[in-house]
Amino acid sequence: MDINTFLAQFVSGLSVAMLLFLISSGLTLIFGVVNVLNFAHGSFYLLGTYFAYQLMQLFNNFWVGLLVGAIGAGIVGMVIEILFLRRIYGRAQEGAFQLLMTFAFILILDDVVKFIWGPEYKTIPKPDSLMGSFNMGSVMVPTYNVFIIVVGLLVVLFAWYFLTKTDTGKTVRASSLDRVMLGLLGTNVPMIMTLVFGVATAMGGLAGVLAAPLRTVTPGAGVEFIIDSMIVVVIGGFGNFWGALLGALIIGEVLSFGILWMPELATVLTFIVMIIVLIVKPEGLLAKKAVGRK
Amino acid sequence: MKRKLISLLLVLAVLAPLTAVYGAETIKIGALYTMTGRGGQYGKDSEVAIKIALDEVNAKGLPGGAKLDVIITDDKNPQYAVSVAKRYITDEKCKFLFGIISTAIGLAVTEVSKEHKVIFIGTDHAGTDLTANKFQKYYFRSSNNTFQSMMAGAYYLKDEVKNWKKIAYIGPDYAYGRDQWMELKWGLDKLGVKYQVVGEYWPKLYEPDYTSYITAIMKAAPDILVNGMWGGDTVSFIKQAKPYGLFNKMKYFHVDAGGNYEALAALGADMPEGIIMSARHHNNWPDTPANKAYVQKFYKAAGRYPSYAAEGAYVGVHMIAEAIRKVGNANDTEALVKALEGMKIQTPEDPPGFTSYIDPKTHQIVQIQAIGTTVKNDKFPPAKYMLGNFKIYPADKLWPSFEYIDYMTKVKGK
Repeated sequence: MDINTFLAQFVSGLSVAMLLFLISSGLTLIFGVVNVLNFAHGSFYLLGTYFAYQLMQLFNNFWVGLLVGAIGAGIVGMVIEILFLRRIYGRAQEGAFQLLMTFAFILILDDVVKFIWGPEYKTIPKPDSLMGSFNMGSVMVPTYNVFIIVVGLLVVLFAWYFLTKTDTGKTVRASSLDRVMLGLLGTNVPMIMTLVFGVATAMGGLAGVLAAPLRTVTPGAGVEFIIDSMIVVVIGGFGNFWGALLGALIIGEVLSFGILWMPELATVLTFIVMIIVLIVKPEGLLAKKAVGRK
Repeated sequence: MKRKLISLLLVLAVLAPLTAVYGAETIKIGALYTMTGRGGQYGKDSEVAIKIALDEVNAKGLPGGAKLDVIITDDKNPQYAVSVAKRYITDEKCKFLFGIISTAIGLAVTEVSKEHKVIFIGTDHAGTDLTANKFQKYYFRSSNNTFQSMMAGAYYLKDEVKNWKKIAYIGPDYAYGRDQWMELKWGLDKLGVKYQVVGEYWPKLYEPDYTSYITAIMKAAPDILVNGMWGGDTVSFIKQAKPYGLFNKMKYFHVDAGGNYEALAALGADMPEGIIMSARHHNNWPDTPANKAYVQKFYKAAGRYPSYAAEGAYVGVHMIAEAIRKVGNANDTEALVKALEGMKIQTPEDPPGFTSYIDPKTHQIVQIQAIGTTVKNDKFPPAKYMLGNFKIYPADKLWPSFEYIDYMTKVKGK
């Protein structure tokens, strides 16, 4: 394989991986800190997209749409956490309740979107400044795909700084380890849960708006990648932010080179990778053995 | 006493016609459509078209003053659709099963129709199987199957596209996507076209990200890329492929569902010019009063222009009404089957001088196929491009093909 083909396929894989990461990181953050497997995470992606669409109808500005889409999805996320999810924390069989409730929200939010904005496909155009492509050697790369990769990397940097260098970040990490102890030390744990849920769903919304110019804005779009996101989270380790990054990169590149070399098996390859990880390191590549979690 | 009797008779005389009206039979049609998620628009559009057709049919009248009524349920998945279809027959006493977007669900429901001997009019699902190797006498289809599209496509590639040899295919990895490719290759072979397949790509249905497929296709460098996607997948693929310059480097060919209005509307100005597409109904072709009236009626009712799913549903209701008129009632299923077989039915997509008909042997509607290329046209907003430069393929050249049905039966079984 010549270097140009390798480079083209690698950059494609990177672009796929970054969108996957933006979605999966929110999913894994909620699981790691709030201890909820949020099946409805894709619905916040969907809400972000539609909020952005609505704002762009009014202001015709992608950046306003991006901001409002992310914040709007985060606010709805916090409201749902406060009004509904908080009520089932700590119940016996909490897992089953979580599954049912978050699954119900997929259906509810999907229908809400259809009720407000209709069933037909909507369009969110790219901003003018990110139109077109440029040549990297002899490889053509769309500017917008590079923008997504850059945003993904910025999120990684910001998350690293927040989680390791700030007190709030350290509190969030602590709450993922032992929320009872954290509460005893005087931290308002429910507020931390709500904030984390809000930030994570806002990241889902952000991913939705970023993906919208490349994808179809339609009811139902939120559930389509939830399986891929789950695979990413399983590979990286449930609840592990950096694991989501690693998992997304692996899946993006495996898929990308799989399509080039063995297109018949490309989609199966991601599952094969997941199975191998589950056999070799069932807790996920970057997860530590769970100890002392309450 | 006599006066009382006369009064009573008078009252009865006044009430009699009313009784006739209120006592008139309501003939129920049990419809199943995808109403949620990605395919939801197809269901919603079909619902609007059904309402328009019902108003027309009931205004014209049916034998004995009967009225048609349609119940619609979200079909969800094959198992659920089967349970609803059975309920329609046993509890709701529906005389007809109707609709269905997905071929997988259509294949499940046709078994119910066969078992209960209830007529099933398929209005949107296009898998050729239902009117070929999976044929059963109570099934009829009011829109074309994928073979008709792909056979017309094979003629187009033979006659209209010059100097090509290398061909690649991308389509969703399930029966609908697989069948189109098999049918196109069969058609090309049949017409004696020589070609070389340089790539076959099978993303999953509703794949959100085609970036890696696009760079792999660019590397394979076919002269013609055939796409077998539908709906939002088409929109995503085109949006993602355009910045790579894919449409300048190869001919793009997408003739079963590519030119569906919903994709033209969603892509707006992002639609590349000059790509080869078709759909099962076009809002701007044929330029006949019947098609214009249908499109405008739909727009008035829904505030948007119809996708092709709507026309299949619209035609399906009219097929049922015509059969009932011919037989005189909706109770004699065997007579209704006979009435539908060979039925001529004027549809919005019929150009002047042609009337669609139901092939009596396969129960498939036989229609003219029109393949075009995208041209600037903002008469159907929000679409900025519509299809133009149409090439027309006569209906009887496309269906039935018993040679292909035999081939399909060999490959896929009965």
